[in-house]
Amino acid sequence: MKGVLSRLGAWVTGGVVGLGQTVNFGASVLRSAFVSPLRGRQIVAAIYDSGVLSLALLCASGATVGFVLGLQLYYTLSRFGAESSLGTAVGLALIRELGPVLTGLLVTGRAGSATCAEIGSMKATDQLDGLRMMAIDPIHFVVMPRALGIIIVMPLLSALFVIFGIGGAYLIGVELLGLDGGSYISGLESAVAFREDVLQSIVKSLIFGVLLALISTYRGYACAPNAVGVSRATTSTVVTTSVCILLADFVLTSLWGV
Amino acid sequence: MSAEGLSLSDQHSSHVEIEGVALRFGDRPVFSDLHCSFPRGKITVIMGPSGTGKSTLLRMIGGLQKPDQGCVRVAGQEIVGLSELELGRMRKQLGMLFQNGALLDSMSIFENVALPLREHGRQGEDEIRLHVRAGLEAVGLPDVDDLLPGELSGGMLRRAALARAIVSEPAVVLCDEPFSGLDPPNVSRIESLLRDLNRNLGLTLIVTSHHMASSLRMADQVLLLQEGHSISGSPQELAESRDSAIVDFMGEDGAEYLSHHVSVKEGH
Repeated sequence: MKGVLSRLGAWVTGGVVGLGQTVNFGASVLRSAFVSPLRGRQIVAAIYDSGVLSLALLCASGATVGFVLGLQLYYTLSRFGAESSLGTAVGLALIRELGPVLTGLLVTGRAGSATCAEIGSMKATDQLDGLRMMAIDPIHFVVMPRALGIIIVMPLLSALFVIFGIGGAYLIGVELLGLDGGSYISGLESAVAFREDVLQSIVKSLIFGVLLALISTYRGYACAPNAVGVSRATTSTVVTTSVCILLADFVLTSLWGV
Repeated sequence: MSAEGLSLSDQHSSHVEIEGVALRFGDRPVFSDLHCSFPRGKITVIMGPSGTGKSTLLRMIGGLQKPDQGCVRVAGQEIVGLSELELGRMRKQLGMLFQNGALLDSMSIFENVALPLREHGRQGEDEIRLHVRAGLEAVGLPDVDDLLPGELSGGMLRRAALARAIVSEPAVVLCDEPFSGLDPPNVSRIESLLRDLNRNLGLTLIVTSHHMASSLRMADQVLLLQEGHSISGSPQELAESRDSAIVDFMGEDGAEYLSHHVSVKEGH
């Protein structure tokens, strides 16, 4: 019993210390964003890596989710004779929840893991120490641009996911199953409110972006400088960020009063 | 020659000094009470069996590794306890050649070598280009500007990294195992490069190496790390030494080479 308590205590203490270190690291990254030079070139490269290279995945996934939603919701709604509400249901589901959450999870798998692995490999091959020895702060040169890149692209990718999702559901509902296109669009238009739905979606995806940026860069930066360390950090980034995004989604949805 | 290594520092002012340094990695002590110094404008080669802390000592001089206790002075400035910002200022007088080069994978060789100049120099792009070209030519790499580090061989990578380490004209260059894994022509090339840098620019060079022949050919001072302490002296002093630690480390081949090399060097 004593051993179990001791292990539990060590686990909790480790967790609190880890959280503190992550927050401290986040503060350093935030501070470095306001230090000259701006690192525009690196930020644009990070936006390309995290955003542009994720476009195909996000568009294909958005469309596929739209297809599935279109089919499922059409048959469910038609049981109650409410298939004309397909646009409303798809729009609200995608904009409020599925868009930001699934984008967060997909970008975590593609760009978050890559960011963590890249920074971890740079650490393992002394590239971060090499920067330090040239009196260049690796947080400013390597971490901040990548973190900012992820935060900037997350709402944009989420918006794209939602658009492709709505388009996918339209194709299934209207083109395949014969629903009226006008009622699909007008249902969507009348049900979606900017402040409650769109703004909530943008805020959620921004927060998911901050979580992913912080966790992926910190895990890479703090990993053990060897192949096993990088591999563990990458796995841990995906698992931790995915759980954090789902938890944060629940908290944000509750706070938004939906 | 002296244990706790201070013989050459008596004759030349020390550029880097280590005093009473202790360091442990977990339960394993690396240094217990290390004292040594590195004379200004000279080449010091740090030797010793694997795991005695040669690379750690270099990292300590660069401020990348803090000792548990003791004092590290670079150009008279105590660096233990400096903030990262202050260490950054201090590091502008250092250049470091890492064992694996540590060039940034995502940048071309030209951009890698130009990086310290672009970050800290006040030169225009034309002047930077001239400096980088001169640096790359000095290391025998005139045509690799647009290549990525991954496209170079080990020897070329090491030379490109050396160009980056010296391009901003630091006063002290730290070289971690510059000869490891290289073929004999590349060993000779890097050895003569380091010697030229020392002679022509008066740089203080601190080199860790297992490569006995090259190390002893170029060294003004050899620092032998043994179980947390140091023994230092000139190659000739090592050749004449009957200290069991030195004899054990050098082995018969090393001692033979050393006495032959030193007698040739002395013109006997």
